[in-house]
Amino acid sequence: MTDERLDLPQGTLDLLILKALSLGPQHGWAISERLHQVSRATLAVPQGSLYPALHRLERRGWIAAEWGTSDNNRRAKYYELTRAGQKQLRAESEDWRRLTAAVALVLDMA
Amino acid sequence: MSIIPEVRHLLRALFARPALERELDDELRFHLEQEAAKHVAAGASPMEAERRARASFGGVQRIKDDTRDARGIALIEQLSQDVRYAARGIRARPGFAAAVILTLGLGIGANATMFNVVDRLMFRPGPFLRDAGSVNRVYLSHLEEGKPRTDRNTEYTRFLDLARDTRSFSALVPIGHPTLAVGTGESAREMNVDAVGDHFFELFDAAPAVGRFFLPDEHTRPRGAPVAVLSWDLWQSRFEGRRDVLGTSLQVGLVNATVVGVAPRGFTGLGDVDQRPALYLPITTYAGSRVTKDPSAYYTNYNWGWLELIARRKPGVTVDAANADLSSAYRRSWEAERALSGGIPPADSARPMALAGPLQVARGPQAGRDASVVLWISGVSLIVLLIACANVANLFFARGLGQRREVAVRLALGVSKGRLLRQLLTDSVLLSLLGGVAGLFMAHWGGRIIQSIFLRGEVTLGVLGDTRTLVFGGAAAIACGVLTGLLPAVRAGRTELVTQLKSGARAGRERSRARTALLVAQGALSVVLLVGAGLFVRSLYNVRTTRLGYDVDPVLYVSGNLRGVRQSPAELIVLAHRLAEEALSVPGVVSAARGLTVPFRDTWSQPLFLPGRGSMRKLGSFTLQGASPEFFRTMGTTILRGRGFTDADRAGAPLVAVVTEKMASALWPGVNAIGQCMRLDVDTMPCTTVVGIAEDMHQRSMVDDPGLHYYLPIDQFHPEDGALFVRTNGDASAMAGTVRKRLQALMPGASYVNVTPMREIVGETQRAWDFGARMFLAFGLLALVLAAIGMYSVIAYDVAQRTQEMGVRMALGAQPSDLMRLVLGDGMRLTATGLVMGGALALLATRGMTPMLFNVSPRDPAVFGVVAAVLCVVSVVACLIPAVRSARANPSEALRGDS
Repeated sequence: MTDERLDLPQGTLDLLILKALSLGPQHGWAISERLHQVSRATLAVPQGSLYPALHRLERRGWIAAEWGTSDNNRRAKYYELTRAGQKQLRAESEDWRRLTAAVALVLDMA
Repeated sequence: MSIIPEVRHLLRALFARPALERELDDELRFHLEQEAAKHVAAGASPMEAERRARASFGGVQRIKDDTRDARGIALIEQLSQDVRYAARGIRARPGFAAAVILTLGLGIGANATMFNVVDRLMFRPGPFLRDAGSVNRVYLSHLEEGKPRTDRNTEYTRFLDLARDTRSFSALVPIGHPTLAVGTGESAREMNVDAVGDHFFELFDAAPAVGRFFLPDEHTRPRGAPVAVLSWDLWQSRFEGRRDVLGTSLQVGLVNATVVGVAPRGFTGLGDVDQRPALYLPITTYAGSRVTKDPSAYYTNYNWGWLELIARRKPGVTVDAANADLSSAYRRSWEAERALSGGIPPADSARPMALAGPLQVARGPQAGRDASVVLWISGVSLIVLLIACANVANLFFARGLGQRREVAVRLALGVSKGRLLRQLLTDSVLLSLLGGVAGLFMAHWGGRIIQSIFLRGEVTLGVLGDTRTLVFGGAAAIACGVLTGLLPAVRAGRTELVTQLKSGARAGRERSRARTALLVAQGALSVVLLVGAGLFVRSLYNVRTTRLGYDVDPVLYVSGNLRGVRQSPAELIVLAHRLAEEALSVPGVVSAARGLTVPFRDTWSQPLFLPGRGSMRKLGSFTLQGASPEFFRTMGTTILRGRGFTDADRAGAPLVAVVTEKMASALWPGVNAIGQCMRLDVDTMPCTTVVGIAEDMHQRSMVDDPGLHYYLPIDQFHPEDGALFVRTNGDASAMAGTVRKRLQALMPGASYVNVTPMREIVGETQRAWDFGARMFLAFGLLALVLAAIGMYSVIAYDVAQRTQEMGVRMALGAQPSDLMRLVLGDGMRLTATGLVMGGALALLATRGMTPMLFNVSPRDPAVFGVVAAVLCVVSVVACLIPAVRSARANPSEALRGDS
């Protein structure tokens, strides 16, 4: 079976997590599911690698964590975008758009 | 990113680890269960679902590790690992650790002690002082014969002028520091008293231990209320700390004062190191108690400059603004003084200026020789620390060479170089911190002696009770740890893996250049210190042996204090003669004589005219001594030509004088001075005939050349004034108590005598050289010992490394003496390099010492020669042990193995 999925460029996982959380608080599994679905299974995000990223973002104060109850009535850790996180998301999205536009420009020139 | 969540996170990560671990487990388990549930819902078996969930998740253990790292505590965990590793290293090599700790301890201890001294002398505000940054000591200066003259002592009238005409200060407080007899009769002792103005105690955040401080209406003029506030120490020593001390009366000078309060423990007024007041009086109480014809004189005229001014600037007033304000007020005051008394130049030419200077005298314009010696010695202690660091760095190098294979193995196992560097640095910093602890203890116990020299017997808590010194010690220890560990650690990080892992690789035979440089630097620095020590010792020797024009050790100075007991001039003359007779009857006393002034403490002078030549003012100022006939014998002053005084030179007899040789040749160059006529005071006075020439003498300063000085018979000059000089046939200091007891019995009423050995009076002026020589010598020797240990350890290590080479040489026919010469020659080459560099450095450094030296050139060849010889001898000794060991190398053993 050939793997058509793309590895994530360095640093983009953070951006994707922030984006996923911009719609509302989520727990880790839900985030991973969401990334999987929205990218139509194109992006290869090893589920486990989500967690170091989540803890790093929490340390930086971009997201905040709180224990809550899941849909199926289980205790789950919910992450939420903080104000600093929203700002970071805007800045990083903008950077990303400019970068991809520039790269596309260069590629199209040929 | 904001720092607060980061810190909170880190703290939680550090202190709530078990909880965090549980949470992480829960979180990951929830994820896996959700994922598995998804697969079950899609129709997989539970077993299969769980397998798939785990597969898509990745290695749980690794994810956990990564997550922990993401928490940001990896660094701290590694640090604690490194500390544990270093501690194991210390236990494994106690000898090595002890050498490092002891060496750094000596260096840090010396520096902590000097820091403590400098801090107290120059930077630390007195205890209890509130907002020290806004408090200044006032200095007044003006031009005198074109040269600026600065003084901090001034008059009470001046204080009133400045207080009235300045706007910059919320308080301007006059403080006098008289020495007064406290108590009566046998228990009377002279003590330092602070006579303080209103608002003095408001400068401090101090509450009285008992009773109260002074009230504003106790500072009345001309005479304030007879009240006193005791220092804590006096309260304890005289009154055993009894609370009923309030209301007790205590004789202080001429004031019969009532005790109204006790200052809190540790309160020392302004905190000046040489003035720890025993008690406090209102300043007008003291000033008004002095016996004068006009009790208002002290606050209306400008004749008595005896107090200092302390000012607190109002909030927002800069020092510059305060200076301008003070200066203009001083100018007005100067003109007021000029209007009052003649002989004062106008302000335009004298340029009176005032300065709100630093509170600490040692930092102000009147800082003495003491302060600069203290700074030099601090520099010296820093050099000692550098030498200690060089030593320790060398030890680390040596150890690093021995550990190269271990380091290589660790690198091969994947330890990063950064991690290795951190770990080696942790090791050196840990050892250095232990050295710092050792050093602070040494400073605490040993440093007391040094402190008591510099801080004049001030009772201190020792450095262990002093936060500022502790912080300094800690910072110094960390700096030393980094300094000593960095170079060897970087070197270790450069280990060549393959070479080192190959079995049998020998440590590099060549001593590294860094180690050689360290050795040479140590030698050079010790040369600098030893040269400094030598120069100071020579200065002290010269100071001690300078002929002052009188003997010092066998002489006692006895001064009487009448303390308000009224005596007629005739009674005073009788008393003076009786005291002299009584002193003579004490066994061991050789002679006793009356004299008007005492060298280094006071001078007497008056205008001097020569017939036909007018005033001699142009030649300089002439100091004079009133002397009884026994004076020259008592002081040991030699009469070079002519005669001294006799009993025949009494009041009414022809006026005579003895002049010093220098004065004789100044007044009558090339002519016999004996028989010449001088007119004293006014030029219409009858002739005072010179009858003798005495040796030159130092009255004012021992550094300057002897002054122009002459003697008059005391009976022809001021028979009722003066003090007594007593010559003993041994050490005068030992007899001071006996003499005092015998003479005190003759004193009428509350009057009393003070007996001071001349050595003490002269010693005060020699203090700077005295402690300069001691400290330079102590630190210089410490540096020498450290350098010698460094030399020994490096050479010994080399010899051990070269055992095989030595064996080969022996096997090829080298004699033991050849090997010894090899090792010694190596050491001597290092020593010679160190000597040359150190000598050059010393030539540069000692130039700055010139003002502190006495009759010694900073390039004194004898000092440089002795230092060179000492260094050579010491390094020969340091090399000799390893050299002998090398000569004993056993060829077969050395060649056999991987030893």
